[in-house]
Amino acid sequence: MSFVRNILSGDVDFNKRLNGSNFTGFVHSAFKRTFNIQCFDSGELYTIACRSIDNAPNTLIVDTENTSQWNIEVNDRVFVEDKILYISNKLALNISQAITWESLLPPYPSNEEILLHNVRWAREYIDCQGKGGGIKKCSKPLNPFEAETCKMLEQRTKSLLNNLAMNRIDLAIKHAVSLVGLGPGLTPSGDDFLTGLFTTLHMEHSPLYEHRSFCEKVTKKAKSFTNDISYSALEQASIGKVRESIISFVNSLLIENEDDLILSLNKVLDIGSSSGTDLALGLVCGLEANIKAGGKPC
Amino acid sequence: MLVQALIKPNTYFDSVSLMSLSTKANQIDGVEQAIIAMGTEMNKEVMKNVGLLTPEVEAAGTSDLIIVVKAETDELCETAFSKINDLFTKKDSGKKGKSDVKYSTISAAAENNQDANLAIIAVNGAYAAREARKALENDLHVMMFSDNVSIEDEIQLKNLAHEKGLLMMGPDCGTAIIGNTALCFANAVRKGNIGIVAASGTGSQEVSVRIHEFGGGISQLIGTGGRDMKEEVGGIMMLDGIQALEDDEETKVIVLVSKPPASSVEEKVLAKIKLCKKPVVVWFVGGDEEKITAAGAHFAKMSKEAALKAVLLAGADESKLNKRALNIPLIEEVRTKLTAEQKYIRGLFSGGTLADEAMHAAMEKFDNVYSNIQRNPEFRLKDRYTSQEHTFIDFGDDEYTQGKPHPMIDPSTRLERFIQEAKDPSVGVIVMDFVLGYGAHEDPVGAFLPAIIEAKQQAEQEGRHLEIIGYVLGTELDPQDYDEQINKLLAADVTHASSMQNAGLLAREFVVKGE
Amino acid sequence: MSKINELFKSMPHVVNVGIESFKDDLLQQGAQVIHLDWTPPGRGNPALIAALDKLENPAIMQKIEEANKLAVERIINSQPVLIGYDQAINCVPGMTKTTILHAGPPITWDKMNGPMQGAVTGALVFEGLAKDLEEAAELAASGEITFSPCHEHNCVGSMAGVTSASMFMHIVENKTYGNIAYTNLSEQLAKILRMGANDQSVIDRLVWMRDVFGPILRDAMKLNSNGIDLRLMLAQALHMGDECHNRNVAGTTLLIQALAPYILQTDYTIEQKKEVLDFVASSDYFSGPTWMAMAKCALDAAHGIENSTIVTTMARNGVEFGIRVSGMAGNTWFTGPAQKVIGPMFAGYKPEDSGLDIGDSAITETYGFGGFAMATAPAIVALVGGTVEEAIGFTTQMKEITTEQNPNVTIPLLDFMGIPTGIDVRKVVQTGIMPIINTAIAHKEAGIGMIGAGITHPPVEAFEKAMLTLSENIH
Repeated sequence: MSFVRNILSGDVDFNKRLNGSNFTGFVHSAFKRTFNIQCFDSGELYTIACRSIDNAPNTLIVDTENTSQWNIEVNDRVFVEDKILYISNKLALNISQAITWESLLPPYPSNEEILLHNVRWAREYIDCQGKGGGIKKCSKPLNPFEAETCKMLEQRTKSLLNNLAMNRIDLAIKHAVSLVGLGPGLTPSGDDFLTGLFTTLHMEHSPLYEHRSFCEKVTKKAKSFTNDISYSALEQASIGKVRESIISFVNSLLIENEDDLILSLNKVLDIGSSSGTDLALGLVCGLEANIKAGGKPC
Repeated sequence: MLVQALIKPNTYFDSVSLMSLSTKANQIDGVEQAIIAMGTEMNKEVMKNVGLLTPEVEAAGTSDLIIVVKAETDELCETAFSKINDLFTKKDSGKKGKSDVKYSTISAAAENNQDANLAIIAVNGAYAAREARKALENDLHVMMFSDNVSIEDEIQLKNLAHEKGLLMMGPDCGTAIIGNTALCFANAVRKGNIGIVAASGTGSQEVSVRIHEFGGGISQLIGTGGRDMKEEVGGIMMLDGIQALEDDEETKVIVLVSKPPASSVEEKVLAKIKLCKKPVVVWFVGGDEEKITAAGAHFAKMSKEAALKAVLLAGADESKLNKRALNIPLIEEVRTKLTAEQKYIRGLFSGGTLADEAMHAAMEKFDNVYSNIQRNPEFRLKDRYTSQEHTFIDFGDDEYTQGKPHPMIDPSTRLERFIQEAKDPSVGVIVMDFVLGYGAHEDPVGAFLPAIIEAKQQAEQEGRHLEIIGYVLGTELDPQDYDEQINKLLAADVTHASSMQNAGLLAREFVVKGE
Repeated sequence: MSKINELFKSMPHVVNVGIESFKDDLLQQGAQVIHLDWTPPGRGNPALIAALDKLENPAIMQKIEEANKLAVERIINSQPVLIGYDQAINCVPGMTKTTILHAGPPITWDKMNGPMQGAVTGALVFEGLAKDLEEAAELAASGEITFSPCHEHNCVGSMAGVTSASMFMHIVENKTYGNIAYTNLSEQLAKILRMGANDQSVIDRLVWMRDVFGPILRDAMKLNSNGIDLRLMLAQALHMGDECHNRNVAGTTLLIQALAPYILQTDYTIEQKKEVLDFVASSDYFSGPTWMAMAKCALDAAHGIENSTIVTTMARNGVEFGIRVSGMAGNTWFTGPAQKVIGPMFAGYKPEDSGLDIGDSAITETYGFGGFAMATAPAIVALVGGTVEEAIGFTTQMKEITTEQNPNVTIPLLDFMGIPTGIDVRKVVQTGIMPIINTAIAHKEAGIGMIGAGITHPPVEAFEKAMLTLSENIH
């Protein structure tokens, strides 16, 4: 007998992939609240996450508190039969009742006033509440390595943003690539920052929207510079697909509701260790670059 | 120094675990530096920059976990690696002892833990009274942090506690120190022989840190909740608190802190003081000196004065105390910097009693002092977003928190207002408190620093001097770094006041014109 | 010295309710802290809080506490003894040839789910009241058959609980209070009537049970004049690693060991006796119904005590979950929707194949074993998510919604703590903790049978309705 659990919700593409053909793969990596599976055919990574994690591209949410209880191990076989996703003989996940989720970004507003105010507010809030050590400077670096990392992140993000705001896309690509794989954590800070930044370029009607191919160009060059898990998120972000908490945050940046803004920003800041802060700063910087590129003082 | 590396191929740990591992690895004895990171090209570049690149690191792939240790000797490196390996293999489970048993009700927790003696209730006000009642029925003393509890419930709970001989601190009680343990929002202070009963949280925090600074210590600090001294409640907890301190062997001096009580309650309290054998110092913000001295108590007009009287009564040698007198030359200097238009004080406070004290200091010299906590409705702020002449705001008041955490935890609302006030050319001085201690923000000054620096620069460009007084309420024993907080203020050219009393008086004196 | 001055002399040992960071600050200072796993009582519903408050009025509370003490005493002191076996028509009160008893609260034919309808039609064919399943379905719908809950006839029935006139029943007598409880015999596993299966193999087995199995057990027990003390045997089985709802390995061994000498002395052929022993050996479940009757016998003795808020029945008919409370005498049911059962399944079945929670077997949890005694059955922790710690957690958590621990039935692993006994409606509503129930999973359609096992909880509505009614009725 294996454990049976329901999938609560899942990303639209992943769902299609599972329902469409005979999906096979293996477990790529396993954590307390998530595990990743790699598809045999495409090599793409998919994530199975517990209830407390938000929806994300290529991710299924399972009705459980944690995923470590099933002793899922790396290289466990994964296959689909009859709308059930099997992980070896350990776990059977019922896909049929899953609610479909799709990553949809709102369009860039025609009137930037609220956005401008909210972006400023968010930056202040992140300065107070965000976690240092990545894009946000650490007040007390643990060691010279950390200090150097912060310094390099700061220089490179600055160069990237300057070039982006001045429409020097080729230079921007170069600096963006130099961020990939830089920094502490499973998803290096540089990657998280780019994920946030990419998001803003995919908001329709945004001043930098026409340059969104920038993202894919960066990602293409970055493949060998970071690990599979982080690359997978970056790749999705480069086509405008990001996790639910980021989308909620973007949505609340467009309206006048401070409570929403605090809640949704806190959700983002809670991701990983410094990842959330890096993501949020990437987003804020991206929006600032958009506002600048649109000709408004920021 | 030796640099050694260990590569774990294709190993993924979530970021939170990596961070905590990294922090712990750097704390291992004998380790100069320890780094745990994914082996990306960029991370390798960083290691190269700081001289930590070994051939093994260079060969590592993007999916490999790199552990690099820098230490004096081979041996130290080896031990460090084995300790780091232990950290990796240590699982969460296996330590679930009895202490991890979960309880859902106060009764179950109390029945299974006979030593439990106090309940802290910090739930939505709609449910708080019920939980407090359960606690009292289980013979637990209660500290009720929740507010929005009806006054009927408060009276009933306090009567029940009184009958059972238990403490009923609150509702809306944020500060207490019992058995040298700070509860909710309180500062880490020395143990000593001065007992405090307080109907105001930050007022009692202020008195306790001043006593600590004068070299004295606190036996117990009992909070009563803000409504205890109202007519309806009748000071039940205040009276029981005084009695308990009177009976406490360790307490030599009693200090009472409150806003002015209802007159019937004041009578009861003063009658109680008359019966006390121990000296009692009374600081009722804006209280009546005559009545209080007639009762045989020691009257204090302000917080520092209350603390000073208490430590002297407790046996301190006055000649050895640094009373931190007002800096008169500084007052002269600031006055010359301010223009004639810069007339007004703007006090932005996270602590209610702190706001009250500063406001009362100003009211002694000015008759145009407005606030959201003014007792005279004529001087209440018409619009909470707009200041009028001299304005003092308690940001802990409900109308400013609006569902957000208290300003001692979440600085955002006050920060916004600060930026606004700093732009007003009629402002002579902005005075603010930064409260440290348990429960409070981990870096309250740091949260304001960028805004302060920017505001000062802005004012300078406009050709005016922006005077800011900052007061850090805390002790060197608090979980935050007290000295660092003050240094941050000084570095930003903020005038640091040594007490709330001084902060209030300095603010007032800075804007006095033509004296 | 006053209590306040006592507090001053000791370190605070704090029960922290609400904001968790206060706990961390206290721990940092070296104080002892218990952080409550707190949720608003009655899910924050003002009517329920008012009801709880009303029952906490000291005078009323004293009445309730006294009544509950009595009810729990009666559960604990009951000594159920298996005294014999006989056909339902001969012993069950109110049984007629056209009566079908079923599990859970009352339900009409048209509302029954697949497994229960399957069992009913199978039983009608077995009784010879219909020639095939189709005719049986017509008969069932015709109004000529009397449907009634087992619980209202001193019976319990596992899964669909379908009990008809000629089926053999356990007869369990309460030696302390004199009442009697009944339940039918295990059909073992897995394609069986109680799970909704009803093909010829199922009917044939029922016939053999009526003609051979039942009579042998009946005649064997006639030779045992002392009967079999089931409470004692239950306690032994728990010490041997059964929780006696989903795991019955030890209990079945003990029971057949007690029956075997008398079976040998009956006048049937060696072959028939061997058939009986082989049948018992074919599944561990043989003693499952026995423990249900044992629990029913004890709980019936505690039913109908004025002012008591102790739960005496938890039962499901596959559509609704119903409870009965001691203070509401007779057959007052409080119901809510039956829940899903979550757990491992037999290969080839999927969660959507599952019928909803069904059966009177939750009587075992009502008494205090089954899910309540998970800590004593580490072998089946897979049902609850996988770890022994979790299993222990379930048992200790049940202490929070019960009144007493039964000293007669204990759990070695928890320092011989007695099983949590006497579910109190007030405590369930107050804490939001739902009783945990171990159970089997039947296929949602008629005719298939058991497809897995797992755990479930009652719907909170049943307890909330009971709470409101109790607060109106206790003065």
